[in-house]
Amino acid sequence: MSRQAAIERIDSYLNGGGFLADLERRVAIHTESQEDSQIGELHRYLDNEMEPYLNEMGFSCEKFENPIEGGGPFLIATRHEADDLQTVLSYGHGDVVRGYDDQWREGLKPWSIVKDGDRWYGRGTADNKGQHTINISAMKAVLEERGALGFNVKILIETGEERGSPGLREFCKAEAENLKADVLVASDGPRLSPERPTIFMGSRGVFNFTMRLNMREGGHHSGNWGGLLANPGVILTHAISSIVSPKGEVLLKGLRPPEPMPESVRNAIRDLVIDGGEGAPEIDPDWGEPGFSAGEKVFGWNTFEVLAFTTGTPNKPVNAVPPTAEAVCHIRFVPPTDPNTFLPCVREHLDANGFEMVELIAERECLNATRLDPDHPWAKWVVGSLEETSGRKVDVLPNLGGSLPNDAFSEILGLPTIWVPHSYAACSQHAPNEHILESVSKDALQIMTGLWWDMGDGNTPR
Amino acid sequence: MTRAAAIESALSYFDDGGYLAELGPRIAIPTESQNPERLGVLRTYLEQEMIPAFEAMGHDCQVFENPVAGGGQVLLACRIEDASCPTVLGYGHGDVIRGQEGRWKNDRDPWTIEQDGDRIYGRGTADNKGQHILNMAAMRHVLETRGSLGFNSKFMIEMGEENGSAGLHQIVSENAEAFAADVFIASDGPRISPDTPTIFLGARGAKNFDLVVDLREGGHHSGNWGGLLANPGIILAQALTTIVGPTGELLVKDLLPPPISNSVREALSGITIDAGESGPEIDPDWGAPGLTPAERVYAWNIFEILTLTTGNPGNPVNAVPPKARAHCQFRFVAGTNSEEALDILRRHLDEHGFERVKIEPPPPGNAINFKATRTPLDDPWAIWVRDAIERTKGTPPALLPGLGGSICNDVFTDILGLPSIWVPHSYGACSQHAPNEHILMSEFRDAIEIMTGVYWDLGEDGTPS
Repeated sequence: MSRQAAIERIDSYLNGGGFLADLERRVAIHTESQEDSQIGELHRYLDNEMEPYLNEMGFSCEKFENPIEGGGPFLIATRHEADDLQTVLSYGHGDVVRGYDDQWREGLKPWSIVKDGDRWYGRGTADNKGQHTINISAMKAVLEERGALGFNVKILIETGEERGSPGLREFCKAEAENLKADVLVASDGPRLSPERPTIFMGSRGVFNFTMRLNMREGGHHSGNWGGLLANPGVILTHAISSIVSPKGEVLLKGLRPPEPMPESVRNAIRDLVIDGGEGAPEIDPDWGEPGFSAGEKVFGWNTFEVLAFTTGTPNKPVNAVPPTAEAVCHIRFVPPTDPNTFLPCVREHLDANGFEMVELIAERECLNATRLDPDHPWAKWVVGSLEETSGRKVDVLPNLGGSLPNDAFSEILGLPTIWVPHSYAACSQHAPNEHILESVSKDALQIMTGLWWDMGDGNTPR
Repeated sequence: MTRAAAIESALSYFDDGGYLAELGPRIAIPTESQNPERLGVLRTYLEQEMIPAFEAMGHDCQVFENPVAGGGQVLLACRIEDASCPTVLGYGHGDVIRGQEGRWKNDRDPWTIEQDGDRIYGRGTADNKGQHILNMAAMRHVLETRGSLGFNSKFMIEMGEENGSAGLHQIVSENAEAFAADVFIASDGPRISPDTPTIFLGARGAKNFDLVVDLREGGHHSGNWGGLLANPGIILAQALTTIVGPTGELLVKDLLPPPISNSVREALSGITIDAGESGPEIDPDWGAPGLTPAERVYAWNIFEILTLTTGNPGNPVNAVPPKARAHCQFRFVAGTNSEEALDILRRHLDEHGFERVKIEPPPPGNAINFKATRTPLDDPWAIWVRDAIERTKGTPPALLPGLGGSICNDVFTDILGLPSIWVPHSYGACSQHAPNEHILMSEFRDAIEIMTGVYWDLGEDGTPS
């Protein structure tokens, strides 16, 4: 009975085809949460797959309907060993984005796993079925080796993440007592580099809004009216250009982080090497906040993007001054930026610069920024465990560049949040040809087994 | 046999429904030159309507096939009375833009004229069938009243104007002798206001092109890549702001025309732009600072963003978009260094650090490229037409150096070397190039008086020699 034996046990689970069999069964369930017609599949994933599997591991399971109509169900699985042990909350989502069945490469299909060299293709392999399967299987290996986990576990499986996690926050509020824990350890998203483990402890927030000009009814002949009628496209390019520089620097103070980057954060991210793997785009070194490293730009700062812009009738252009123009804008932001200040700040700025005619419309959904200090005891403890297993340096991100509903755990449940991602950047998540790498999965099964083993050893932060 | 009698006869024709009776069947022919399936219909317009009408007026007709595949034909109708008389080249285009069926108010059919108060709706009423049909009728009443025209008439009807006048330059260049004349007098476009007879002597040029920032294949997740990957929409927006200011001022000095001459300034000084009741409201602070609205449209250059796209506007995703494209237009007056406009723009972009913004050809469907032209304000023929209109109306018409819009006027001024005198009969809010195209009966009644007077006077003594 040893840590090493538990890791050998998980190796044979992979080598013996156990991992493939478990994942194959799960990928086969069409849990497309963006399709209303697949609500039955979401239930089937919890009823036929998660519950029996977790029951066998000594969990008691309870399924909850989503407080929001049309949202998928939640499952809370609990294994309580003793009141004086640490309690870990883990999380995964059983839903996936649409299969896009016709768009996969020849020979691939979304609903079963196809192995090609190191790659295992299938919808949900990376996001997120593969990741929570790794975590649960690793837990099972520890349980079988030790006879007990040595800690208490609650596993929350959501089935609406790809739809924007409807009801998740309400559910966490309502079930706060049920979900009470000491720390969140969960897996989603990509590693910084396939070769090394990564942890991140939060995520950048995201705020979308639309800038719109509606000058008049219809277009007007540019020969007769050009020079007499204000062109909304011209005005909107100026409004945008007053907010973000030609090199992507956020110019408007109120859209930048309110305080300098903390030293601990800077130290953690300054020298990170961003390696998207094969097929990743080439980074523009001159883009973004001047003087910042790539890591600082994407993990430590706010960015402003124009996601979409339209004026006139691009599909059937005519020689007319267009009547309207619209830009969908997008801010990714780090703590402690408060997204509630964005719209008033942009409004005030536009008014002060003669752009009163630009309308601003906020999008309803906004994800808050969350972050845990890289020096937090739980962060250090997890890094120690991962490094012991893998023998490699762990990339530590105070937060992910992308956005997750992590505020449900960090703010509503008040937990330190540690994410250990098992995917990699070029995994084609959200696209056809989604896949994981067997080599990364093998590593992930090992480090998670080591982590759960150490969790039950008792040397955890208190 | 008097001028007044000719005008009276033309007015009775107009008032008794003669004009609408001629207009209706011609509007009914769907001569959409942008629609390749209508190539045969273009020929029908000439063979069924124009050629018989001109032959009835003693014109010999010749049809020139278009050297450009898919281009419409050009008709030249000639009535030569006496080689010692002045020869006047008239012009009209029988093609129209697309009908846009289904988008007209009250579900109107674009191919059926319909009167609603002062308005006559129908595709081509304003642009240009209504205008050349009116000029032909005016000429006919002079012919009938006088027994002869008293001048030589050449009248061309083009069938591809709305498709960029493809092939027209070549046809006229290769047959310059056939088209030769002493003066060009024709009608297209709008008056400065419905009750102000107007002459314009040229047209602004126009050149369309695209500005493109194409950085990579496909969008990339803005969370993982935002801040690391340049955003083409932001770069293109910034580049455009260096070309045109926040209030529409063209900022590239080398793309501006020479200062407005005193004679042009003076000609425009009394001109107010009035599009009629349904016209758009002018933005007083837009365009070149320090110029009047008339100077901005008729005597200055402008840069427009016609369309701009980045990302997926109908269904935005949280990704750094891979490319951005702006379809742009440069309108310019005669005297502008327009031949080098794109080179000037290239240099400008490079100097401002926008090497990544490429200048590309415009989409073929909107690839206009017109030269700017202008006949001098003191040209003897311009003054003569102005006086002829004053003889009819008692007050002189507004005299504009050029139209704000663009037409193939260089065919007449540059290839044929003619003074070009345009007498427009439409008005600004006529919805030309849009659903609900229409003309005003009151304005066209005024126009037939004016044109009958002009054609009458062409047969009298006193024309410029």
